[in-house]
Amino acid sequence: MSIEALMSIIQQPAAQDTIGWVIQLIWILAFIIIWIYGQRIQTAFMLREIEGSLYKLKVMRDRGRQVAISTIKEIGKPPEDPTVRVDRLLEHVDIEPVSLDPTGIIRRLEHIIDVRDLRLKDEVRRMAPYADEAQVNNLTNVLEAALALNQIYKIVRHYYLMGKKTLSFYIILQLQMLLPLIMRESEAFASAIKAFTLGQPIGDGAGALVAARLMYGKEKRLIAQDTLVSEVDIEGRKVYVVKAKGPGGNVGKPGEAIRQILEEKEGKVALIIIIDAAQKLEGEKPGEVAEGVGVAIGGPGVDKYKVEEVAAKYRVPLGAVLIKEGIEDVVSTMRKEIVDGVEEAIERVKRLICENTKEGDIVIVAGVGNTIGIAQ
Amino acid sequence: MEEKSEIKRAPIFFIAVVLIMLIMSLASLVLLIKTYITQGTFETLNVILSISAIALSIYLLLQMRRKPITLGFETLKVLTVIQCTKCDYKSIRNFNKGDYVLKEVGSCPKCNETLLIYSIFREPEKKEKG
Repeated sequence: MSIEALMSIIQQPAAQDTIGWVIQLIWILAFIIIWIYGQRIQTAFMLREIEGSLYKLKVMRDRGRQVAISTIKEIGKPPEDPTVRVDRLLEHVDIEPVSLDPTGIIRRLEHIIDVRDLRLKDEVRRMAPYADEAQVNNLTNVLEAALALNQIYKIVRHYYLMGKKTLSFYIILQLQMLLPLIMRESEAFASAIKAFTLGQPIGDGAGALVAARLMYGKEKRLIAQDTLVSEVDIEGRKVYVVKAKGPGGNVGKPGEAIRQILEEKEGKVALIIIIDAAQKLEGEKPGEVAEGVGVAIGGPGVDKYKVEEVAAKYRVPLGAVLIKEGIEDVVSTMRKEIVDGVEEAIERVKRLICENTKEGDIVIVAGVGNTIGIAQ
Repeated sequence: MEEKSEIKRAPIFFIAVVLIMLIMSLASLVLLIKTYITQGTFETLNVILSISAIALSIYLLLQMRRKPITLGFETLKVLTVIQCTKCDYKSIRNFNKGDYVLKEVGSCPKCNETLLIYSIFREPEKKEKG
């Protein structure tokens, strides 16, 4: 049928009436479909969006695993293929201590963390026999980041498949709402793998960098596992500077170190200052420095608990210097603004010491965070 | 490592729907133009609907274009700042594997004192969010 013939049929009054009815019918049908299946259509759209992010997470997870394996092969020169061991480690699970009876939970949690740490490092040593201590620490960090990516991917996939199976609007809605934050965190872990592989300092190491600058050139001694202390003179005060042992990826045990110094000095310490990286709020600039009171130690809470306990026992004032950074900066290569923040933090620490103590006093300064790429 | 994943990114169905929508709206626009040429009448409402449908289809097609996936594994430009422990000598170079902060890297060309890696940082990206 030619277009002219079709046009002449359409232009008949009877045909125009019919077309009008058909269009009305289509509208009514569309309205009914949206009314009945509106939520399902919305669910389908949300599922598609989650699918896209899940695909990205899968690529990240696979790349992370691949990088971990190739780095182990390159650095550790293993006698056999480490793939099976890496895959086994990526499925590693930590079981938290029971909290029904909270008595002694910190001690039990610390034990589990220690065992986990030891186990991971042992596995890395087995896979990479030619790696030195710093490289073992860096490889452990690489594996931990790859493990985190694997866990995130599997959890998101679990809720996606559950939502798809049950078609539960609320499961899918919650997942879709959280996705932007999950993706930001995953991208941070992906860039962490790159930084750990190359041994570059990361944003979390801001506190460690402050301590490293203060203790450079001074004699150091091991005070707790992977943790060093140095005696520094600042404006006539005897300052014990604590930092994790670098340049390998390490967080050390700053809580235990502070506890030991305080016990050694029988509580005769005028001030404790802890410097750490802190998550900035949206709108705040990265590298901004803030001061406060309390124990600025993140993580599972073991070190924080220890410092709070011992400081309360001897009634020692606690000061905190925080270097602000975004979640994407914490585990990725340190940015310029954070390095500038470190310079400011050093000045703040010196000012706090001068203003709050007098000459001859003992002060503890602890730089907290992962010290990868930062020596002392 | 694990089972084959069922997750695939296949917007074929959506692309087909949008393409059909685009073809239909173009056809209706052609018909309108034809009517205008043969009869000289112009149905404003139909023209508006056709053009809106075309615009919507093009917008949806543009939205569906696959954006390059950024994963965070991209190589960043990382710089190493070297400073003399005594004088004001300072130099900046690209990060080399094995660099770490407070590593001694030779002697100062000005005063012959120790040169230290003072800091390592990534170069700020142009469009980095604050």
